[in-house]
Amino acid sequence: MRIFQKTNFNFIRYRKIAYGFSIVLLVAGMVSLVVKGLNYGIDFRGGSEVVIRFEKNADVGQIRSVLDAAGVSGTLKQYGMDRSFLFSTAFQGDTGQLKSLVSNALNDRIKGNPHEIVRIDAVGPSIASDLKWSAVKALLASLLAILLYVGIRFEIKFATAGVIAIFHDILTVLGLFSILGGLFPFMPLEMDQSIIAAFLTIAGYSITDTVVVYDRIRERIRGQKPSEYERIFNESMNQTLSRTIITSGTVLLSVFVLFIFAGPAIRGFAFAVFMGILIGTYSSIFVAAPLVYDWLRITKSSVRLRGSKLS
Amino acid sequence: MPSMKNKRFNLLLIVAVTLMALWSLWPTWRDYSLSTQLDSFTSAQDSLKYAMSHREEIDNARKKSLKLGLDLKGGMHLVMEVDQVDLFEQKAWNKDGKFAAIMQNVRAKATQSDARIIDLLSAEFRNENIHLSRYFYDIRNSDQEIVTKLEKESEEALTRAKEIIRNRIDQYGVAEPVITTQGSRKIIIELPGVSDENRVRNLLKGTAKLEFRLLREPEVMVRTLDRINTYLAQNGQNGAAAAVSPTATDSSAAAPASVPVAAAPLAPDSKQSSAKPLYDVIRVSPYGTAYTAERSKEYVVSLLHRSDVQALLPQDSELLLEAKPEMSKEGEKLYSIYLVRKAPELTGGVITEAKATFGSQSVQPEVMMSMNSEGTSKWARITGANIGKRVAIVLDGAVYSAPVVQSKIPNGNSVINGIGSLEEAKDLEIVLKAGALPAPVRIIEERTVGPSLGADYIRAGMLSLSWSFCAVSIFMLVYYKKAGIAADIALVLNILIVLSVLAGFNASLSLPGIAGIVLTIGMAVDANVLIYERIREELAEGKSVLTAVTQGYDRAFSSILDSHVTTLSAAFLLYTYGIGPIQGFAVTLMIGTSASLFTAIVVTREIFHLLLAKNLMSDKSFG
Repeated sequence: MRIFQKTNFNFIRYRKIAYGFSIVLLVAGMVSLVVKGLNYGIDFRGGSEVVIRFEKNADVGQIRSVLDAAGVSGTLKQYGMDRSFLFSTAFQGDTGQLKSLVSNALNDRIKGNPHEIVRIDAVGPSIASDLKWSAVKALLASLLAILLYVGIRFEIKFATAGVIAIFHDILTVLGLFSILGGLFPFMPLEMDQSIIAAFLTIAGYSITDTVVVYDRIRERIRGQKPSEYERIFNESMNQTLSRTIITSGTVLLSVFVLFIFAGPAIRGFAFAVFMGILIGTYSSIFVAAPLVYDWLRITKSSVRLRGSKLS
Repeated sequence: MPSMKNKRFNLLLIVAVTLMALWSLWPTWRDYSLSTQLDSFTSAQDSLKYAMSHREEIDNARKKSLKLGLDLKGGMHLVMEVDQVDLFEQKAWNKDGKFAAIMQNVRAKATQSDARIIDLLSAEFRNENIHLSRYFYDIRNSDQEIVTKLEKESEEALTRAKEIIRNRIDQYGVAEPVITTQGSRKIIIELPGVSDENRVRNLLKGTAKLEFRLLREPEVMVRTLDRINTYLAQNGQNGAAAAVSPTATDSSAAAPASVPVAAAPLAPDSKQSSAKPLYDVIRVSPYGTAYTAERSKEYVVSLLHRSDVQALLPQDSELLLEAKPEMSKEGEKLYSIYLVRKAPELTGGVITEAKATFGSQSVQPEVMMSMNSEGTSKWARITGANIGKRVAIVLDGAVYSAPVVQSKIPNGNSVINGIGSLEEAKDLEIVLKAGALPAPVRIIEERTVGPSLGADYIRAGMLSLSWSFCAVSIFMLVYYKKAGIAADIALVLNILIVLSVLAGFNASLSLPGIAGIVLTIGMAVDANVLIYERIREELAEGKSVLTAVTQGYDRAFSSILDSHVTTLSAAFLLYTYGIGPIQGFAVTLMIGTSASLFTAIVVTREIFHLLLAKNLMSDKSFG
């Protein structure tokens, strides 16, 4: 079976449209980030979360009013699975106290529907800022490592364009998180540690995709005149297109399965990775390689590549 | 084509890796089948009998099987922080008002930033232009030397705190606890399958600092309280008395309080300044003992902590509250207040043995303690010199009991009573035996997952794993036909390797870890896709299957290597900087990526060589 026989798309010619599309996406995301901001989970904000599961169906409004009456303020949401609710609060004290407060209030006021507190998380403010910093450090360090590796294996123009593509992917997903955050009850899209893991996964995947295209360009560009670059870039992208689509397809398939089956704790992560891979695939074709092409064209330089023969 | 020798080596390698993976996963399989066997018995007797007869096998399998993370098994994850400010305060001498002010500043700054406490401390001292040596160690030491010494001190304190916490947990009895330190002041504690979180929390957070302190004479205390009362009456307006009204909002406390001794209410009347601000919340009995009601307790504690109030206390003395309330006749909980000497006569360091029992004449639980020889002789001297006086037994700043010394105690025995329940007495026994923490610890992060949610997570994880595996492997078969089989075999081996490495290195599988495996399933086929697409291209150019396969592998190699190295480095950095659950994800991603490098380049290639040698491949085999 073949999805793409012999394709011959002129990616380079339409790159300006792609640039425009990317800029619109990025600007929309940035505007939303500034105006609406992000939904931080307790990992980065500090506070407590309680997951309560009832034996029978329960009404969100009723539980909310019971908890309000008990003097524990916070937000209550449906939590993915059946008859479960996630209650998050800024409460910082003893979780035992919080648990008994919630438990007693629910036992007293909602009779005939026993509940169980299946999870309690409490994160203090000092550790929340620790978590935030280590997340930022991990992201920056991995981008630097990728820049170095690709710089050594290819050329600095290729490496820079690859890292720009990663930034493009992560910022777009971040923008999506801001735009879509809180819109859907089944996925609150809160920023927590798992989203940072998603970003690093996206970074890894995006550069993988980009490197495969680069690798093909490197293989074919040796000794060619700059006037041939447009043809070589286009042909290389067309030749790797089948692989790009199929690999993205299998990964998207897996992540989609995660999104559907793995439950609410993983849903935000799965969403981020899914969007990241879609955008990463797009950016390896329409952003990374065209940027290198434009860079070469504007500086009128030819490619001096390293490491093309390794095997 | 690789040489014959090379080929044999590759085959051997594949067999070895497969066998290793199966061997490492065998206990997990045994553990699983043994526990299903145990569950299948209808009567508890049968299952017990089976468990007894297969005990060794069950234990062995359990020990070596793949561990599940806290989120899947249920349990408690705690991050505790050693209070370094307190530790440094303990190390200082010559403490005065200036020092207290500086430390207060440091404490305030520490809650807002994650800079190291020692840096904050030395910065604060530099701002004030005071040498650290004025309060720490020797006057001749330079600031740098003192900083180094204090750093070493806090490092030791962290290790000691970790050991003591481990002792407490071991004595309490948790299967396979994991206790590690992180950075300069954090301790991470993982307790699988803990059901009584409240008890564990109480067990962990107490410093367990035991002190024997002499009580001041009742007249001194009455005089002191009078002095505080007069002071508060005069300064009522600007003091906190008017501002703090902890019980006024508490509707349950609104019921009229009746107190045995006097008719005055035991609640602070916050609205108007009273002539007797202190005696509104504290009652003094004719025998010279003082106490406060539970609802005023918080207010009294805050009052006693005020520095202007503390200045009114006699030299070297301190007012402490009782740990457990006593019930008054009216059913109100009353806490006694004691005026004790600041310097302890004896501390818990001399305790060698502690045992929770019931008292000889009552049903009240108590903890018996015995001391080492040094403690015994000191204790004998103290009790001998203070017959007729009262000695308070103070644990973490709360008075448990304050018995009158009847006679000299020569054998080094002492008793803590005034304990609520036997369970609490048992916990006290544990913390006393484990020893006191070098500095207070605080719980700064706590995550608890109940076993039922854990079971849900497992189900969800397994469902995702099997669906993702089915979808991807069926796709590969449809798209690449015969070559798809090789890719699917590689995929199975890949998953086996990930699980077996986790089991072999005693790492645990968590929900993010499962997500990592699911993601690996999607990504692992990438290497095969790269190769197969290349082979298709070579075939399209009219090359023979043999040449196409060989050149396909060779030419795809550099792409595969580059892409795997970049993914690996991202995963590695995630592991280095990530915390807790994220590390689990990073570990599986790393193992999965490395495994796919092996399976794609060595395993599938070997499969093709075998098939080619048997003439089972044609140019139709790549779909």
